[in-house]
Amino acid sequence: MNEPKTFEVGPGDDARKAPVRVVVVQAEERPAVDAADEPMVMTVPHLLLRELIAFLVISLVLVALALTANAPLEEIANPARTPNPAKAPWYFLGLQELLHYYPPVISGVLLPGLLVVALVVIPYVRINLERPPLAPARRTRALVILWATLTTLVLVSYFTGSQPVWPFIGTLLVVGAGMSVGIAGRSPGRVVSWLRGRSIAFWIFSWFLLTATVLTVIGIFFRGPGWSFTLPWRDGIYY
Amino acid sequence: MRDLVKRLTGTAFYRSIFRHGFADTNRNRSLAVFTNFFLHIHAVKVRRRAIAFRRTGYLGGLSAACFFILLVTGILLMFYYRPSVPEAYHDMKDLQFVVSAGVFLRNLHRWSAHAMVALVLAHMAVTFFRGAYRPPREFNWVIGVFLMLATVLLSYTGYLLPWDQLAYWAVTVGTNMAEAAPIVGAKLKLLLLGGHTINAAALLRFYVLHCVLLPFWLVLGLCVHIWRVRKDGGIYLPPPAPSAATDEDQA
Amino acid sequence: MPLDDDLSSPLSEEELARRRTLTLLGAGALTAAGLGTAVVGYRFFEPNVFYEEDARVGIGRPEEIAPGSVMVLPKKRLYVVRNADGSFYALSSICTHLGCMTRYVPENAQVACPCHGSRFSLEGKVTAGPAPRPLRRLKMSLERGILIVDASQEIPAGQLFKVT
Repeated sequence: MNEPKTFEVGPGDDARKAPVRVVVVQAEERPAVDAADEPMVMTVPHLLLRELIAFLVISLVLVALALTANAPLEEIANPARTPNPAKAPWYFLGLQELLHYYPPVISGVLLPGLLVVALVVIPYVRINLERPPLAPARRTRALVILWATLTTLVLVSYFTGSQPVWPFIGTLLVVGAGMSVGIAGRSPGRVVSWLRGRSIAFWIFSWFLLTATVLTVIGIFFRGPGWSFTLPWRDGIYY
Repeated sequence: MRDLVKRLTGTAFYRSIFRHGFADTNRNRSLAVFTNFFLHIHAVKVRRRAIAFRRTGYLGGLSAACFFILLVTGILLMFYYRPSVPEAYHDMKDLQFVVSAGVFLRNLHRWSAHAMVALVLAHMAVTFFRGAYRPPREFNWVIGVFLMLATVLLSYTGYLLPWDQLAYWAVTVGTNMAEAAPIVGAKLKLLLLGGHTINAAALLRFYVLHCVLLPFWLVLGLCVHIWRVRKDGGIYLPPPAPSAATDEDQA
Repeated sequence: MPLDDDLSSPLSEEELARRRTLTLLGAGALTAAGLGTAVVGYRFFEPNVFYEEDARVGIGRPEEIAPGSVMVLPKKRLYVVRNADGSFYALSSICTHLGCMTRYVPENAQVACPCHGSRFSLEGKVTAGPAPRPLRRLKMSLERGILIVDASQEIPAGQLFKVT
């Protein structure tokens, strides 16, 4: 395209007239992955083979399931007759169980909406960074605040729900116990010190996971006609 | 055998497609990734710690694998499914009893759907507990949340398509929950269903959502999500132990 | 290769003013187009015609329904009740909680919903369960000797339809 230019590198004769150019190389925008002295491996074949094997394994599992267990197909949709019970797919059963305790505005709109907002906000809120273990003097205060908050939450959920919300109360107590051991535990054991290092976000997220799991399990296995409480080993599983 | 492969990969025809030779030198291995349209989302080299199974359980990749299976089985099922009432239900019966491998494809689609929802939720939990959402990966977490929502919505819209009692009433409950939203609830339900009740208009809308709109958004989001993993420095790893002279974990 | 760098050459006042005006015009046009697209897009998704059954349902002649009886019409999603004094009222059989189809239980003159255990009295009042409102009472009329129930017209609880 253009004629090749010839470059000459070096300081000029008169430094004031032709100052030496210093090139500044800016650090890369992304975190310096390569800066660490970590052992690296070639993508081909190491990573690619693992991906392939993982894909094969999941395919095999799913194909085995597809060959042995049939997807359900009930009678044609009939607007005049609601089956008893009318259950949502399993990932919504936790929500449907929640509907048993709180009206649709709360359990169908407010709580899921808050959940999504909370999830999105997680990385941006500073309380998510781990905190150092509390000094003994602040332990009592932390315990008091913790249990005051938990008691309030338990009472609020109990009295606003249309049924005693045992799942909520149970999970709040479990998380409260874990947090208390982390705050007040004095033994140098691994479990206690691990609990001590967990951030508030960890406990909130764990509580959410625990509650969602409990609600979903109840919705799948312990609910029958009319959303009544059933025992799967006695009455079977309704879906 | 190796010689045969080497001969084949040396031909001009092969070299016109793949601009590299057989992957037995590190240079060729680099080129195999770097010059490949499908593979160059990967880095040429990765940290050995990053690809161990116990890091992430490969949950993200497995979710994507499930999605790929869903895409393929879904498209195949579309050849025999009409999203109208009552043809939808009759086509489901067709797929179960008349179409060769119909029952297998439908089962595979359904099981992959359940697996994908479960894997996506597990991926979210593991990502959180590993702390892989922290800066500079915050925005990728947000993208992930929306991918999770898209996954659940895909599963929900797909649930109506068989047009059986299970489908109909599950969606009834769901849309009535949407109606409970203040101010916009009734309008939202009207737009979702294309009417006041779950009828042919609702089925068609859910079908388009399930087969076109939501997969499109999911694929787009997935591309950005994976791209961001690269840009944010690869899989999150805790800093190496101080005595990193010895070899780290071997998966 | 030399770059034709627009950033390095200063602009005259006239040029800047021209650019400002054009930018404003362009932004305005984009906003208008965007708003217009949004409105048209929203109205595209809102159905103008509902391919649904007519809300008005004929349920028979008044003489065919005995006083003190309940007529259950599952396909029309209605309960039609005739009191002992001959007056009528019609209730929607859709549960007000989440839209499930209720069932009439003659043994205790109750309406029960299978989904979450809501119970209604025969007047439509909620007697148990999470249903937030009573069953919808629907407008009735008499046309050419046939009783008509309009499922799209709700009337206050307790109102009765009398056949003269």
